[in-house]
Amino acid sequence: MNTEEQIASFRQNYAALRAEIAKVIVGHDAIVEGTLIAVLAGGHVLLEGVPGLGKTLLVRTLSEVLDLSFNRIQFTPDLMPADILGTNMVMETASGRREFEFQRGPIFAHLVLADEINRATPKTQSAMLEAMQEKSVTAGGEIRKLIEPFFVLATQNPIDQEGTYPLPEAQLDRFFFKLVVGYPTGAELTEVLTRTTEGARAQINKVLDRETLLELQRLVRQVPVATHVKDYAVRLVLATHPKTDTAAPITNQYLRFGSSPRGGQCLLLAGKVRALTQGRFNVSFDDIQAVATATLRHRLILNFEAEAEGITTDQIIAQILQDVPRDAATVNA
Amino acid sequence: MSDLQLIEQTLQAAARRRRRERALRGLWQGLLVGGLIFFVTLGIYKLAPIPSWVVTAAGIAGGVAAVVGCIIGGWRKTTVEQMARWVDGRQQLQERLSTALEMAKGPGSETWRTLLVTDAAAHAKELDARRLVPFTLPQVSRWALVVLALAAGLGFVPEYRSKTFVAKVADQKNIQDTGKELTELTKRNLQKRPPAMETTQKAMETVSELGQQLSKQKLTRSDALKQIANVTDRIKDEMKDAAKEPAIQRMEQAARSPGGENSPDAARLQKQIEQTQKQLGTPNGSPEDMDKLNKELNKIQEAAKAAADKNGGMSQADKEKISKSMAALSKQAQQMGMQMPNMDQAIQALAANQTDMFLKDLQAETQDLEKTKDLAKSLQQMQQQMEKMGKDLAEQLKNGQPEAAQDTLKKMQDQLKSANLTPEQMQKMVSEVAKAVSPGSQYGKVGEKLNQAAKAMQSGNKPGAGQSLAEASKELDKLMQQMNDAQAMESELDGLNRAQMAISTGQSWGQCNKPGVGTKPGGKPGSGVGTWANEDAGWGYDGHQTQRWDNTGITRPDQKPRGVSDRGDGELNDALKPTKVKGQFSPGGQMPSITLKGVSIKGTSSVAYEEAAVAAQADAQSALSQEKVPRAYQGAVRDYFDDMKK
Repeated sequence: MNTEEQIASFRQNYAALRAEIAKVIVGHDAIVEGTLIAVLAGGHVLLEGVPGLGKTLLVRTLSEVLDLSFNRIQFTPDLMPADILGTNMVMETASGRREFEFQRGPIFAHLVLADEINRATPKTQSAMLEAMQEKSVTAGGEIRKLIEPFFVLATQNPIDQEGTYPLPEAQLDRFFFKLVVGYPTGAELTEVLTRTTEGARAQINKVLDRETLLELQRLVRQVPVATHVKDYAVRLVLATHPKTDTAAPITNQYLRFGSSPRGGQCLLLAGKVRALTQGRFNVSFDDIQAVATATLRHRLILNFEAEAEGITTDQIIAQILQDVPRDAATVNA
Repeated sequence: MSDLQLIEQTLQAAARRRRRERALRGLWQGLLVGGLIFFVTLGIYKLAPIPSWVVTAAGIAGGVAAVVGCIIGGWRKTTVEQMARWVDGRQQLQERLSTALEMAKGPGSETWRTLLVTDAAAHAKELDARRLVPFTLPQVSRWALVVLALAAGLGFVPEYRSKTFVAKVADQKNIQDTGKELTELTKRNLQKRPPAMETTQKAMETVSELGQQLSKQKLTRSDALKQIANVTDRIKDEMKDAAKEPAIQRMEQAARSPGGENSPDAARLQKQIEQTQKQLGTPNGSPEDMDKLNKELNKIQEAAKAAADKNGGMSQADKEKISKSMAALSKQAQQMGMQMPNMDQAIQALAANQTDMFLKDLQAETQDLEKTKDLAKSLQQMQQQMEKMGKDLAEQLKNGQPEAAQDTLKKMQDQLKSANLTPEQMQKMVSEVAKAVSPGSQYGKVGEKLNQAAKAMQSGNKPGAGQSLAEASKELDKLMQQMNDAQAMESELDGLNRAQMAISTGQSWGQCNKPGVGTKPGGKPGSGVGTWANEDAGWGYDGHQTQRWDNTGITRPDQKPRGVSDRGDGELNDALKPTKVKGQFSPGGQMPSITLKGVSIKGTSSVAYEEAAVAAQADAQSALSQEKVPRAYQGAVRDYFDDMKK
């Protein structure tokens, strides 16, 4: 298959994925789009929202449309790292001998739903760090590779809810996107009620298998980005770094820490996926702008002043997008 | 054409158009900036007394700003890459063109390159440079036009200037104009009377420099007056030195007397007298008698006109009365040796009841009498001049007539050179020269030279005598040149005084009479008398024209004087005759009064005229000594109060 056919296939698959998910998920277009972009870019997604908005349903639906292995971990305060990663257990062999055997944890799957991730303690949360970044697990002194593709789709309740532990910054940074799930509109709610309270249950088909998905992920990385667009992404990231020459005014006022380079990587990758989904062969400023909030919102650490004033990272990103010009002198020039 | 070429071509066309559009926008922006500069400057000019050249400069700056704006706008060339980015942004092409251009030239996958370029070319095809960069008036143009309209409107608003400033400007202009006039006057003087002495030349150059300074520098009134006073003092000092020479004094006095300077020589004058006598006949009356005769004739003419205008024409009694008067007048004329043929004809016409003819003859006779009177007067003046003309060398030197003396010396030299000089003639010449030694001694070395000549003649040394006479003539020439210089200096001094007056009074040069001219007894009439042409245009005072200016004795029946006048007893209305002689009323007496516009002096006098005059003179003297009177007026004030003493 040549590149053109690959691109056509990409769009077809994307459209099919959207269509299949739409059979179950009502509304939440931006959330579905964001989740799919992250999946196609090979990134992890953190879905945040109050209980009952369909976060888990979305992930479960996604696991159904993708012909991939799926595990769900329900995070609770007493959950231990070994419960996630697996542990060595004494097992009796056929010959009657007893030996240690590694029992894989639920992390060993293509698609892992980390439900209510912030209900676990930071120690347990940190168990996922290596898996998410290196796509490998070190247990019992042995590094075990996770099978590609590997995604963590985590859901969490808003931080200030009872019985939640805020995710550490390092953990947050591993998420490609943080998507905030909001309440449905009236029409959407009506449709949700209709679908869930009546007898018929949607029949969901598998759309993508593992190989195709990996192929699409490779295609995404080939999408060219013009220098000035790349430069825009760089300037956006630099604008979030407080107390620097490149910082936006609002950054200096309300941020303690800005985005990591990983944020820039995510901006470009997400932009590439978005470009392909829109039938383009190049990344545009609009692509970068469209994915900026989901990419950067969990990478920015607010200072006390921002928290005191109730300023959110979304507001800061919106201001930075206004402040940073699209066409400007190259940062490196 | 490849897709890439198509993209580049489209972008280049758009870039050219954008460049022009930017130039146009720059022009308007420049115009706005320039307009604002001009508007603000004009506003300031209308309120504050900044120089007018600043407004001109602001106008030029505005024009320059527009041009500079246009140049700056159109200067920068837009590259294809920049244009691609601009078009991407403007046409929402999602960075297709810029990415395609960049990827087409850089390393990367051929497949992706082709995809990008083809996609971009497809979009580039739809681009139209005209629609992409339309030539429309930018927003800034409206503001520029508003500002220009405001500036144009502001142009009609009269500028506010304080009275002090207006006066200051008028002063400066007056000073500059006066400076120009002074320079021009000096230039004319230099042409008319080229100075012989270096000091005079320098003095005149100083005046010329002063004039240039006044015309070019911006001086205050006091500074200008100070500078003029300095130069005036210097020239006065030099003139004082020159005036110490008795010969110059004498020559100057002679020049000031009527017919002195540039007077014709005796022979020519005699010839003119003879010609006038021939024209005049042999009347023995004076011009005054003729004037009286003329007035009588006028009275008869008026009486005849009045009688003819009455209802029913002239009565027999009127005729008789007029005829009688005319006969008396005719007799009087005959006694004066004058022929009045028209008078006789008029009497005959009156007798024949031909009133029109009578009046016509009377008119003709009046005109004849007028001409005769003028001729008589002219003859009288020439005779007076002739009387003053020295008859021999001694008298000529005594009367300060160096030109005549030079002529006489020339004649003597010629006679000495001629072979047929009789001893009697020689003796006569010796006595004439010897007689002239004494008056000649007042002319520097002239007396000495004449003495030498007399001695040489007595000893029969004709060449020596001729030589001495020539040296005497040369000495006179030198003195004449000195006098010429003195006159030039005097003229310059007049000019300086006039400049001083013009600047101190704030009047223009033309409005200021030459100080002292036309007001003193025996002086020359100044501008403002009659309908004199502008004397600055080459009609300056010239001595030999004085007699033409003198209009005393000329009767203008059509312009009868109204009010108090001393032009003749008969012309005054009885009601206007003063009842008291000026200055002769005594304390307690009625003070004659006339009503003046805005001023009414009425009442009884409390002090004697003499006392009042003495007190006024004392006050004037005090004011003069304390320098309360402006320098330019000091002379006039002093003269006025000196006249009161007389």
